Amino acid sequence: MSSLRRITALVACALAPLAAIAASSALGSGASHTVTATERDFAISLPHVIPAGTVDIRVTNRGPDQHELIAVRAAKGALPLRHDGLTVSEEALAKAEVGALEPGKPGETRDLKVILTPGRYVFFCNMSGHFMAGMHTTVVVK
Amino acid sequence: VIFRRAKRFRPFGAGARGTIAAIVATFALVSLISAGLSIWTTSHSRNRAAVVEMAARQRTLAERYVADLLLVQRGAQADPVHVGSLIQQSAHALLDGGTAPAVEGDDDETLLHREANPVVRAQLVEEERLAADLAASGRAYLEGQPLSSVKLTAGEHLADASPIQRIRILAALTSNVSLNAARTIAAQDDQNISNLIMLQVSLGAIGLACSLLLAWALIFATRRQSAHFRSLVMASTDLVLVLDGSGCRHASASVTTMLARPETELLGKRIFDHVHPDDRPLLELACQGGGARTFVFRLRNALGRWRHLEAHQTDLRTDKHIRGVVLNARDITDRVKLEHELTLQAQRDTFGSQLGEALEMADEENATFRVVERAMVEISAEAPMELLLADASRAHLERVAKSPTADAPGCPVESPFACVAVRRANPVVFESSEALNACPKLRDRPGGPCSAVCVPISFMGRSLGVLHATGPEKEPLVAERVSQLTTLATQAAARIGTVRAFEKTQLQAATDALTGLINRRTLEMHLRTMIRQGARFAVAIGDLDHFKQLNDKHGHEAGDRSLRVFAQLLQQSLRDADLVARWGGEEFVVVLPGLDREQAVTALQRFREELAGAHSGGNPPFTASFGVTDSAAGETIEELLGLADSGLYLAKRAGRDRIMLGEPSSDAARVQTPDTERPSPAAWRSRPALQQVAGEDDPQLGGLELRY
Repeated sequence: MSSLRRITALVACALAPLAAIAASSALGSGASHTVTATERDFAISLPHVIPAGTVDIRVTNRGPDQHELIAVRAAKGALPLRHDGLTVSEEALAKAEVGALEPGKPGETRDLKVILTPGRYVFFCNMSGHFMAGMHTTVVVK
Repeated sequence: VIFRRAKRFRPFGAGARGTIAAIVATFALVSLISAGLSIWTTSHSRNRAAVVEMAARQRTLAERYVADLLLVQRGAQADPVHVGSLIQQSAHALLDGGTAPAVEGDDDETLLHREANPVVRAQLVEEERLAADLAASGRAYLEGQPLSSVKLTAGEHLADASPIQRIRILAALTSNVSLNAARTIAAQDDQNISNLIMLQVSLGAIGLACSLLLAWALIFATRRQSAHFRSLVMASTDLVLVLDGSGCRHASASVTTMLARPETELLGKRIFDHVHPDDRPLLELACQGGGARTFVFRLRNALGRWRHLEAHQTDLRTDKHIRGVVLNARDITDRVKLEHELTLQAQRDTFGSQLGEALEMADEENATFRVVERAMVEISAEAPMELLLADASRAHLERVAKSPTADAPGCPVESPFACVAVRRANPVVFESSEALNACPKLRDRPGGPCSAVCVPISFMGRSLGVLHATGPEKEPLVAERVSQLTTLATQAAARIGTVRAFEKTQLQAATDALTGLINRRTLEMHLRTMIRQGARFAVAIGDLDHFKQLNDKHGHEAGDRSLRVFAQLLQQSLRDADLVARWGGEEFVVVLPGLDREQAVTALQRFREELAGAHSGGNPPFTASFGVTDSAAGETIEELLGLADSGLYLAKRAGRDRIMLGEPSSDAARVQTPDTERPSPAAWRSRPALQQVAGEDDPQLGGLELRY
């Protein structure tokens, strides 16, 4: 399991620059900017307002547990939950999702590059119970 | 020097020993660390596995807790409080160590160590808090109190949720963090194991490096040692060969140097190509091993010469470092050559001395030639040989001896000085009759081309002839045979010279130089023989009348001439069997076998007539007187000669130019009438003979003795 994950990470690391190049070329001259995010048990802190464009979200997991970071364009009302009533239904939000980071270890800092058009977005961690324990925040992109 | 070096030499010297010890120590340390790490990691991993199992159990317990709460609420039999305390105790044990309680029917109590990893520890702290929140919420739920009054301690915000939903969320959070802690531990273990693998690989590499270093150090030390011994062996003049069933396996540098052949030409069966065919069985036997022994064999060097090797064989086939038969050999070619030469010298000496003895027994030339012929067979029974000697004129060579077994080569040389060996006065060897510088007399022989040896024969600086031998073309007689031929030539020449000189001396001793007649000594010898054999004969003594006056008047030349004429005529007129001797001066003695004195008188009378008619030329005429007697008149030479002499005396007295018979009574008269013209025949005799004769037989002659 863990080795599979490591291989995935290695492939991701290897592919990340390629993805970045592809993204930047797709965007043309649109400059990206960096936003710092912090995760902890059980909260996500992000600026409430972020300028639109390519956003490099530098997220640090302050722990102690592992956390994901998933960004979805917000629709009306609350996010739909799965049948367990404990996790958000990512399947239902597939079209709304703009970016996601797999669970990161405590103390780790990672980058999530997303292209944000103006609107409201929800950033959350979807590990079992984390969303329900308050690990989500709403951001306005202008 | 080599020995002193050998004493000082230590292949594993202090430096090398230190290096090797350091390498071995490092290797041992690395191995120990590696083994220790493996043991520690294994036991640690076992402990971690218990932790992981316990952390994973929390999820099951959390779910069971929620289920139990619901069951209790519906009035079923369940004990959520107990499950809650299990969760809390387990969380505490996971964090700070201690005994995690058993879940009845599932497992046993598990002893856990205090968690040291700070990341895991933070997660476990979070878990402990969530477990406490879960238990508190459960209690509030069971007691019917509002859950919002429960103080949450783990940072969770559970707004707007039903009580059971809140408890479910807390249970999910608890199990989630617990599983994440287990995952972290597992990931850490993975990391630890890969670290361990890396470490083990590194340690293995260090160990390998140590082994290589150790091997290098050992190889270095061994090389030093073998180089040392190689130097010793190379410096040694001993020739070393290592043999086994497949032939030669090693040949030392000294061998290759001696033979001027590369080692490759000597390895395996190839060595037998260079071993003398007669010695191959010896070497083949040596290849089979066996006890220590010494033998001599021959190896051919690059120049094609045979080297004689005295080899000592040691069977080291069971020695795993050698696995062969070692030959330690010495080159004894020079010694063998010397021994061979000495043997030949001894043979030559034997031949020379035997030849000398054989020749000494040859008392005449023909006997000498027979000895030469036998010696030829001794030298070589196959080679045709001949001895050519100059004749009396020294102008012609004639064959006097030839090999009895191989016949004569038949050299057509005719005169001594047509022979090149004679001219050079040295032995000549011709390799081939066809060569440009060959003797022309060798060409066109009936037997075809040949080789030849010609040894001149000379005595006292005078060439006598040549000793000639032939052989197959290009294969002349070997040096020792030539040497024997030279010995034969020298000794035969000496003997021939000696025999010839002896024969000449004998002739000179037996004859009279002036007249060629036999002398007194020879005649006496014959007379003695005849008397001893009891033969009948007549004896006469005669001399030239008035010879003194003839000498004085006409000179000694004329006197000598007269004597020669007298002798010649006397010999011619008598029979061949008659002995005529010059007795001395102008006196002659004649012995006529088978005649009595009357018959002798008749024969001499005839001579006197011939003498009378023979005077011619410038020679003054002369007459002769004879006194005659015969064997019947006496028994000794002296007696008979005395009687004949008395006859001569009577003849002289009677007027010369006549023949008178000897009379015993006439002696006295003769003594009384001294005739100083000539000495008495008896007085010519040697003194001891005269004394003896005078003393025993004829006292009268003692008077003659007195007169001298």
